[in-house]
Amino acid sequence: MSRDLGSSRLWPTEVWSRPWSLPRYRAGAMWLGGIAAGIVVIGAGVGELSLWGDRLLGLLGRFGLPPVAVAWIWVLVKLGCVLGVIVANGLWAVWWERKISAHIQSRFGPMYAGGFHGWAQTIFDTIKLLFKEDVTPAAADQPMHALAPIVAIAPCVMAFAPVLFGTELAAARLDMGVLYIFAFAGISVIGVVMAGWASGNKYSLLGGLRAAAQIVSYELPRGFSVVPVLMFAGSLDLAVIDRAQAGYWLGFIPRWFVFYPVVGQVSFLFFLIASVAETNRTPFDIPEAESELVAGFHTEFSGMKWSMFFLTEYGYVLLSSFLLAAFFLGGGAAPLPFLRFVPSWIWMTGKAMFMMFVFMWFRWTFPRLRVDQLMDFNWKFLLPWSFANIGLAGIMLWWMLR
Amino acid sequence: MISYFKTVFTSSWAFVAGLGITLRYMFKPAVTVQYPTEKLHPYPPFRGALLFDAATCIACGLCAKACPSSCIALAHQVNPETKKRVPKVEWYTLDLGRCNFCGLCQEACPTKPKSVWHSLDYEVVFSTRDEMVRCWKPGVPLGGRVWDPVAKDFREPRGHLPASASPARK
Repeated sequence: MSRDLGSSRLWPTEVWSRPWSLPRYRAGAMWLGGIAAGIVVIGAGVGELSLWGDRLLGLLGRFGLPPVAVAWIWVLVKLGCVLGVIVANGLWAVWWERKISAHIQSRFGPMYAGGFHGWAQTIFDTIKLLFKEDVTPAAADQPMHALAPIVAIAPCVMAFAPVLFGTELAAARLDMGVLYIFAFAGISVIGVVMAGWASGNKYSLLGGLRAAAQIVSYELPRGFSVVPVLMFAGSLDLAVIDRAQAGYWLGFIPRWFVFYPVVGQVSFLFFLIASVAETNRTPFDIPEAESELVAGFHTEFSGMKWSMFFLTEYGYVLLSSFLLAAFFLGGGAAPLPFLRFVPSWIWMTGKAMFMMFVFMWFRWTFPRLRVDQLMDFNWKFLLPWSFANIGLAGIMLWWMLR
Repeated sequence: MISYFKTVFTSSWAFVAGLGITLRYMFKPAVTVQYPTEKLHPYPPFRGALLFDAATCIACGLCAKACPSSCIALAHQVNPETKKRVPKVEWYTLDLGRCNFCGLCQEACPTKPKSVWHSLDYEVVFSTRDEMVRCWKPGVPLGGRVWDPVAKDFREPRGHLPASASPARK
């Protein structure tokens, strides 16, 4: 009855299985498929549509509308695209995160919904969340409680305006795009603090305060670690930063900022660490620490209000991934000269998806920091060394321009 | 100064090593099983739900005597002409609600192969107490029949595996 399965399986039992289920034990390469799926979901929406952009704009002008109306409609179309990216990312990243966490922990994750590896799990979860009762605690500050998720998600959507989805491919071209993104990304913390305060729950309040302290602290090394990039590129415009990384040293080393000796790697790592902290994800997720604060600021939120916070978190993960790709990994530039025929948005979204995988990889690898360790790490390590990094970048720039 | 950088590098290396471990585990096969479609089969010493075979039973009653929780009851057949005992069961019941899965009935059973034995069936789920009592008569399949108090009759058990799916027998 019980077949000898050798030493490969620790459980001393036989597995009855349908023929389709056995290959699933080897489905660890899920993240590679995930990157491809991410490119298709996020890139195809924006990248392919953008090819028709000028024609669509011309078509709009033919209806005899005033130019102001055409401009507004065009803005709404672009807003719809960006919003679609954020929502699709939310649906997809949750599933991907569940798969990655499952495979890291030798599990399967969602397997049934939709048929293929539970691809429709998040869609069904969203339907469930839509039908859930929206509970507001009696002690809550009613209007603030309702407003908090909106305040959290609105800046996230707005911050996507100048984000590059490929070379010269953004909803809005801003001269101070980097500053704009950081400014708007910093507003979301108000929503988190509002949520913590309005819940009428001391754990939530503690979570909100922790979020405020953490996000405001980590804004500094995050901003300073980009300064070397801005110095090398000489602009706050993301398109200029993207263009500055095109080309190759010795014909095969891409001129990405991450390949600038010492300065590039240090900025990249610091920006990555600070971005993880900014998005409240696991090594730095003290605002929603389950073991201490029972999910912190979103304890008292249910249904779509709660999922707004989740959408915000994943929106910021996507934003940070795109920023990491645009600042350090060459944006839409191909890694090798002969790969330049591939459209830039594929490179951009591919790099962003890889960084997103790194985010999830971090989350399921590292244990949570204590509050004091978190602050020590920021103020005593990241911040001074990011200053030193700026100095080093200055010396390097002087040597390069000499 | 040197110790400072040493600390920075060793702790960074620890993080990188951790990332390597999780990456390695990501490509290892999962250890969990998709339960309703894939099932684990225990090794034969496992004591699952009791099964009974009316064909081999000699109606000696040793199992009923051995049972510490007295969950077994049986009656032997009587030859209508000679009025003597026949080594066959008339009926045999097992109360799985009282069974403590000790295996003493299986040890006491003198037949070969055993006519009462623990199967590998661990999916023993009942919705009523009456269903826990299974009754066998000659000609009844290995799962036994359960008493339905509504219909006032014995019926096939439901809500668990057909016991024929796990006929482990020594």
